[in-house]
Amino acid sequence: MITFLFFLLRIAPGDPSQKFISPDLSPRLAAIVRQSFDLNNSLFDQYKTFVFNIVKGDFGISYTYRVPVIEVIRQFLPFTVIFSLISFSIQISAGFLLAMFAVKRINGPGDKIISRTSIIVYALPSFVIGVALIFIFSGLLNIFPSSGLSSFDFDSYSFFEKAADYARHMVLPVITLSLGGIAVYFKYLRDSLEDAYNKSFVENLRANGFKESEIIKKHVIPNAVSPLIAVAGVELGLQFGGALITEVIFALPGMGRLTVNAILNRDYPLVIGCTFISGLLIIITNLAADLLKAKMDKRIVKEILN
Amino acid sequence: MRNKYLLSILLLFIIIFLPSCNKQVPVGQNRVVVAISSDIESTNPLFAFTIDEGTISELLYLSLVQHDWNYETGNMTTSPSLAKSWDWNKDSSSITLNLRDDVKWTDGLLVTARDVVFSFDVYSDPLVQSKLYGSFKDFYTDTAMHVDLKKTFDVINPYKLTINFKKHSASSFYDIDFPIIPEHIYKNASRKDLVTAEKELKPVTDGPFELASWNKNQSIILTANKKSFLYNSEDIDELIFKIVPDYYSQLTQLKQGEIDFMQDIRADDYPLLKREDNLILTALKGREYDYIGWNNLDPGVYKKSKKIISNKLFGNPAVRIALTYAINRGEILHEFLNNHGEAAIGPMAPIFSSAVDTSLKPLPYSPDKAKQLLASTGWKENKSTSTLEKNGIGFSFTLYIPSGNPRREFAATVIQNNLREIGIKMDIEKLEPEVFFQKMYAREFDAWMAGWSVSIPPDLKQFWYSKLEDAPLNVAGYQNKAADKILDEIESTRSEKLQDELYIKLQDIIYKDNPVTFLYWIDNLMAYNKRIKNFKLTPLGPFHRCWEWSVK
Repeated sequence: MITFLFFLLRIAPGDPSQKFISPDLSPRLAAIVRQSFDLNNSLFDQYKTFVFNIVKGDFGISYTYRVPVIEVIRQFLPFTVIFSLISFSIQISAGFLLAMFAVKRINGPGDKIISRTSIIVYALPSFVIGVALIFIFSGLLNIFPSSGLSSFDFDSYSFFEKAADYARHMVLPVITLSLGGIAVYFKYLRDSLEDAYNKSFVENLRANGFKESEIIKKHVIPNAVSPLIAVAGVELGLQFGGALITEVIFALPGMGRLTVNAILNRDYPLVIGCTFISGLLIIITNLAADLLKAKMDKRIVKEILN
Repeated sequence: MRNKYLLSILLLFIIIFLPSCNKQVPVGQNRVVVAISSDIESTNPLFAFTIDEGTISELLYLSLVQHDWNYETGNMTTSPSLAKSWDWNKDSSSITLNLRDDVKWTDGLLVTARDVVFSFDVYSDPLVQSKLYGSFKDFYTDTAMHVDLKKTFDVINPYKLTINFKKHSASSFYDIDFPIIPEHIYKNASRKDLVTAEKELKPVTDGPFELASWNKNQSIILTANKKSFLYNSEDIDELIFKIVPDYYSQLTQLKQGEIDFMQDIRADDYPLLKREDNLILTALKGREYDYIGWNNLDPGVYKKSKKIISNKLFGNPAVRIALTYAINRGEILHEFLNNHGEAAIGPMAPIFSSAVDTSLKPLPYSPDKAKQLLASTGWKENKSTSTLEKNGIGFSFTLYIPSGNPRREFAATVIQNNLREIGIKMDIEKLEPEVFFQKMYAREFDAWMAGWSVSIPPDLKQFWYSKLEDAPLNVAGYQNKAADKILDEIESTRSEKLQDELYIKLQDIIYKDNPVTFLYWIDNLMAYNKRIKNFKLTPLGPFHRCWEWSVK
């Protein structure tokens, strides 16, 4: 992945030193500045140094922030991880609750309303949702702030005030990021719950006198959620990579904005750092999803062992 | 069980959110919130490469002198800052400065002449690569443009020093107008690593504001430096630069009063903002113009051998003038800019009133005149195809524009239609800005659209001087010996009056040669909340003397 990224970035046109060279600098002086970016060495030498440094855990120094890449990522990653986890848990839990509600009333008016609304919500781009939420809750009602992560007087707040301030700022972004996901998980879960309900073993269990709640909890849900876990693993990993549009609308300091700005500024070390971390998180969340699946379905472990 | 678990999570959220919902945005505080669209990377004046970084660093660090704008003369006047008085010697080759003895850094130490000498040393050091590197042309320097401290400075006492300029240089106040940095903070840091080390250094400043906090990608909070001689008890306590990347979010926040000031408002949104009672709308007459660059040189030959060969399409001034006649600038000004701008006649901004040749008028939109001129240069209409041809070859080219700029995209489409009317086929190609500017500076395009900003004071040599190594911004490759002579004279004269006269002569030459098509000067539309008092907008920018703002 790293090799691919390294060469892809070098092939892309653009010069990272351009920004630091005043256009009216003479070519001779501009060359002196350009030299400090170590881009004059051969591509192979650059690659060798780069891989050697990565092995040591050193991604280099960001051209724009002028501090080690890890330091920059350390400032942005915690927000994205927390933001993604909150949004993810809301997506899963709300999607699950709605799916359960709909399945119990399959093809009834409740199910139809939720199913159709979910399609509309899914079709709405997040920038439309975000702007609409700002207009209603921030503009008209003035309940929530329209952007940022904290108030200007944040430092003078007590612990609880700080928590409340964060929470207040996070409401609209979390809703914006979650609505689409809720619709997706609802759709997945509703369909797989319906499938599981219609399986013959459910009929069998009912005939044997098992309680309905017991059947749902022990048999229907485990069967229905297992295809969802794999999807959720990838989705969570992607969210850790940043939610660019939500971050831009609400001016949040997340990995999405960091990565895109790094690409636009041709900040090679930072682009590689960001994509490496995002890639790593996708692998981790996928692994976690696989482990969870194995825990729920012992047959997978047996298959692997065989 | 699972449902209960989920419900308890929801309850927890409600408990957190409910008390916070009542909390309103604090209003009426003695602070002003300004929107900026992206975070800065440094507050250090050495590395303040962007406009916002320049603004903030100049609020944190004092310069030796400060400037004000004189609307009558269309020029700047100099007033004291860190230097309370000065004496130029007879031939202006040296200046003796008397520094204030009451200015302290925020760590309590006094600002002295040592800091001044040290600042010149660091700014010009090639190892540091500061934003001013390479600009100390009027000083004694070594071959790498590092200021020669021994020849340049005579420190008479901690608050008095003389600066000696290079013989026959056009020294002026502008040579010494940049923020001074504290020697005791930076002297032990390695010069080569200063660019990364400055992040670790606590900003010790002496300006009208101090840095209170900087939340990355969120806000930069400056508080008034109450010990500064510039501070007045009526002034604002805090100036906050709030980072709001989305344009429409900025507009919403401006209307709601979450931010107090916003610039670069699109002409389309201006009438709507006029209806807001809490806002005052204003426009800064532009120093920025858009232009269509016609490469005067053959880009292929220049790239290969650096030889200057006239461009096949645009090498002839008559063709360039014809193209200017063919372009309907009025339509773009009216349709896109809602007339918040004016057609340009040349490279001198109208705000420099004493240096502008008012007898020149913008070439009118006239497709017929364009056709006549082109016919005189051999471009005749092929009646069957309705296109212009010369020696059997059609007049066609590609106009390159940077992507993500709606104004230039709109203008390019208008121009494409205008040129089609007179039989010229123009394709439009959008390039990602980084790539666009790299190619533009390398003079690789035949035709492109971009913009320039005229500095204060104007420095036109780098844009229009024939020797391209000395004029990196002459990307059109304009060649004219008479213009060169005038530009050399401007550089070596200290008389502002004579400079103005020379600039007027230069405009006449450029007007006749039309090296590029000057499109229009663009106004910067701004709006601020009525509660800000003492807001004075000058060509020096909206933040000029912003420490004198107050809030009612």
